Amino acid sequence: MIPSLTPTTFVILIFGVLTFIFLMFLPALFELKRSKDAGPRKIMDDIIAVQHFRLGQIVSLASIEEEKLGSDRVFIKKVVDIIAFLPNLEA
Amino acid sequence: MTGILEILFLILTALMMTYLIRHYIFALTVINHTYKRKKGATIKNTTYQPNISILIPAHNEERVIGRILQRMTELTYPKNKMQLVVIDDASTDNTWKITEEYAKTHGYVEVIHRKQKEGGQGKASALNAGLKRARGEIIFCFDADYYPQRDILEKLTKEFADPKVGAVQGRVTVLNEPQNLVTRLAALERIGGYRVDQQARDCLGLVTQFGGTVGGFRRSLLESLGGWDESILAEDTDLTFRVYLSDHKVRYVNDAECYEEAVESWRAYWKQRYRWAKGHIQCAFKHSVKVLKSSNLELKEKVDGLLLLHVYFMPILVLFSWIIGVPLFFLRSSQWLSILWASIPISLYSFVGNFAPFFEVGVGVHLDNRTRAHWLIPLLVFTFLYNIPICTKAFADVLVSKITRKNNNHWEKTVHSGNGNSYIMNQGKN
Repeated sequence: MIPSLTPTTFVILIFGVLTFIFLMFLPALFELKRSKDAGPRKIMDDIIAVQHFRLGQIVSLASIEEEKLGSDRVFIKKVVDIIAFLPNLEA
Repeated sequence: MTGILEILFLILTALMMTYLIRHYIFALTVINHTYKRKKGATIKNTTYQPNISILIPAHNEERVIGRILQRMTELTYPKNKMQLVVIDDASTDNTWKITEEYAKTHGYVEVIHRKQKEGGQGKASALNAGLKRARGEIIFCFDADYYPQRDILEKLTKEFADPKVGAVQGRVTVLNEPQNLVTRLAALERIGGYRVDQQARDCLGLVTQFGGTVGGFRRSLLESLGGWDESILAEDTDLTFRVYLSDHKVRYVNDAECYEEAVESWRAYWKQRYRWAKGHIQCAFKHSVKVLKSSNLELKEKVDGLLLLHVYFMPILVLFSWIIGVPLFFLRSSQWLSILWASIPISLYSFVGNFAPFFEVGVGVHLDNRTRAHWLIPLLVFTFLYNIPICTKAFADVLVSKITRKNNNHWEKTVHSGNGNSYIMNQGKN
């Protein structure tokens, strides 16, 4: 069934279709012109897992440092202990 | 003649309606699931931490390989339970140099260098080479252009605590989304495909798809299945169905997210989607009858499995329905139907998409709390139209290879520019 089309209704039909298409794509054109949500979406880590990992890193880093310092550390500790026993000169 | 065309048209319309209803169910399921989850969030067991192996195939990936290797060193999974195998697949650039640097400084990183003779034959071939070296109970795969969350392995691995789970899949998010129109549309397709499609299939206990990357397999299962099939371009879809046919499940973990670099031009889009379409159609030929006959699959899995296998036929069928819809309209067969003939193909193309229809993308964008990304959704019409010739060519090529019995597969590698780096730097390290 083809509806009978007069020239006027044909023009209105074409105009209507074009307007519809234009309106449909208008927001997309706005967004492309001035992007306000271009992404990318931030992907988030699980905070607890990351903190646990960081803690692990710190502990392992500390143990490496301890190995490096070795005897120096023992010496420093002794000096600190001595200073702690010294009287407060200002007082 | 008109009668035959009418019946054909009716069948095509019924098929399109089936997909339409399926995707409506998916969209509603995900909305419902998200709402329920917000009400009562559950914490899953993350203490299950077996030894794992990560495979990263890389063919001329010097622009991106350093990024993922650096990220791998930042992952929170215990490094003493982790083996990272980089398969340098006959690269002619500096990929091998970069990977060797990491292997020297990190004990858990191993590199396989494949020579020109054996390498460069596609991802499946490279992954099989990696599988031989892998020692972990669980085998994970990541593409070289990917950039995962630091705790992604914990999120994915925990699913394997269930012995029925044979494989797991995480979510893929486009990193270089703001780059241009192609990347922005690819990002929308990914949102619909993963956030809604995959999530819904997982929730409904249907056939969740392993996407080839950001996922993993139980090694014992993978070995019993004979690894990746190198004769199929969609080795991931093929493996998905082999997992299901072997009475195992694939789980989708929406919280386990990973960035990817999407294709940046329409030409690259064509090459990538052609490969997907052809591989998917190959899988349809290989698995359709097996899925129907399988005693390991429930009815709902069979129905969804068949719909999934044939999804790349839909753009071709939509085109076909347009072609026969026009003469039917003018032939004026029956009064009421002629209006239907004209309206259905025109309206349905809006709903039937290649990976996820438009309203699914809309739901995904909304659930992701995006503010204006949905404004671009009407432009997906162009990707859908673009997929019609892609899928038609892929189908024709598969038919030719079936008739001539010659494998005309050619692995067109997606070229990665490394443009995603700037977006990572802008975001800071998550």
